[in-house]
Amino acid sequence: MGKTQIVKKKEKVRPGAWQIILIAGFLFYMFIPIISTYLFSVATRWDRTILPEGYTLEFYGKTFEASYFLSSLRNSIILSVSTIFVSLVLIVPTTYWVHVRLPQAKPILDMLMILPFGIPTVVLALALVQVYNPTPLGHSPVLLIGAVFIYSMPFMYRPISNALNAIDAQTLTEAGQSLGATTGQVLLKVIIPNIFAGIISGSLLVFATVFAEFTLTKLILGARFKTFPLLLVEYTRINGNIAAAFSVISFTIAWLVSILILWVGKKSQGASAEAVRSH
Amino acid sequence: MSYLELRNVFKTFANVTAVRDFTLDIDKGTLVSFLGPSGCGKTTTLRMIAGFETPDGGTIELDSEDITQVVPNKRDIGMVFQAYALFPNMTVRQNVAFGLKMKNTPKDQMDKRIDEVLEMVRLSETAKRYPHQLSGGQQQRIALARALAVQPRVLLLDEPLSALDAEVRVVLRGEIRRIQSELAITTVYVTHDQEEALSISDKVVVMEGGVIQQVGTPEEIYRAPQTRFVATFIGTANQFFGKVQDKQHVLVDELSLEVENLEGCAAGQQVVVLVRPEYIQVTTQKPERSGCNIVSGVVETITFHGAVTRLGVNANNQRIVADINVSETEPIGLNQKVWLLFGSNACKVMAVDK
Repeated sequence: MGKTQIVKKKEKVRPGAWQIILIAGFLFYMFIPIISTYLFSVATRWDRTILPEGYTLEFYGKTFEASYFLSSLRNSIILSVSTIFVSLVLIVPTTYWVHVRLPQAKPILDMLMILPFGIPTVVLALALVQVYNPTPLGHSPVLLIGAVFIYSMPFMYRPISNALNAIDAQTLTEAGQSLGATTGQVLLKVIIPNIFAGIISGSLLVFATVFAEFTLTKLILGARFKTFPLLLVEYTRINGNIAAAFSVISFTIAWLVSILILWVGKKSQGASAEAVRSH
Repeated sequence: MSYLELRNVFKTFANVTAVRDFTLDIDKGTLVSFLGPSGCGKTTTLRMIAGFETPDGGTIELDSEDITQVVPNKRDIGMVFQAYALFPNMTVRQNVAFGLKMKNTPKDQMDKRIDEVLEMVRLSETAKRYPHQLSGGQQQRIALARALAVQPRVLLLDEPLSALDAEVRVVLRGEIRRIQSELAITTVYVTHDQEEALSISDKVVVMEGGVIQQVGTPEEIYRAPQTRFVATFIGTANQFFGKVQDKQHVLVDELSLEVENLEGCAAGQQVVVLVRPEYIQVTTQKPERSGCNIVSGVVETITFHGAVTRLGVNANNQRIVADINVSETEPIGLNQKVWLLFGSNACKVMAVDK
């Protein structure tokens, strides 16, 4: 016992050379684009030198002057929040029902939830436009919400399904029922609080995915419902520095929202989250 | 008229019959155990009483009301699970309050009732803790308190002690019996542990293959088993297969065993003679006495069981086990020749097909 601990400690202190190279390579791969974007958004000129020639905040000023800045930000937030809402309302009860009452359907649901990864978004968007164009839904944000919901479905499903696996949902449900609760009451008062960590991480993943979504929005609604990614892409053709500033704003919003969701989750969960984790 | 009545209940899962033609009356205020090996249908029957499974046929009546099709949350039946099933997000107090809240109990009554049941399971001091901060035994006590808080008409316990240590199991089963008697609550207790069933039940229902084998008091089940399954599942029984010789004898190989109660058995019929190990006396000297069955053999195994020591004896290639009290018998060693004595009243004869 003691020996293995010492060996482990040594390994921690001195990782092998190839390990350092691998980790450093990974970190470069992850952070270089982000750091470059940050630098580019404050660079006066950066095409002849290794580091920018000078620094300025004027591009951030310009982003606020952009005519669609606030409306696209608003649209993106509406789209993300509505998708989270639709996902929660549809996926939480369905997954719960399948776990507790129809466990034999679980493999089918698991399969269905991988399908969105297999369908190219371009195909999904064009198919939806073809089908719904003649109807009033054709050019409405509702269709877009439906589409991004399908596209982001696996991100909500997996954490919730895992959380339900971690608690004994069936026995907890039966315990609740034997105490006089309906299935709905059990879901609200027992199951949801106990899978809250899964709901929070699902919501975060859906938010991040939908906030950055481009293809579906562009093809289904285009200029009618300009979201932040659409505006960003538009500016990459006008001014790279402003586009970089938009990207930085986009990152920042995504992080702020993530922190907000985590904070809300922690606050409403409190000690019970810990109880669930150590369960 | 019994309080809880099951009539010809049967249930199949994917063409496998889990429970067949189950008919049972349970009197108000009694503790009845369903005892049997795993897969015997005892838990399925319990879950049908709770409403978590719907019978494919038959009826279940509680207090003269047909509850066969009533949903679980309207049955007023409490349940305690093997895995405790406490709500991890709630404190002990909130767990116990859950059922009372579902019944819209006024706050002051609710508080009083919670204090009462926590006192009953002797865990008042844990009220503010979360389930994960309690031991397994404590969690199961809280689960019991939670089920009792709403004063259910029937209490169901599904192998409540199986996940606990041997020591805790013995203490807690005593507690369950004490509380059950105090409240005089009609209780159905599912277990595969015969000692547990025999020690706390008013009546034991022995099940095998989805069918009731025997219903009786613990004493009846042990002393007067009606089928070979019951005789061998409850306690240990030596089995001697043979043929009926005359009205008082069964021929086992070359040995003639003197038995009682051979009425209704024809000469030559295949029977099995069952003898409990504690009814067998062991001596190291060839006994002079007559009037009882005497079998000689060689000691092959000696197993210490605490109160008794169990000998495994080879008598003409038939293995016989006998329990002896070491302090009362002369010392016996391995490979020693011994004589086994048992009276005709210790022999229980059954037809082989049973």
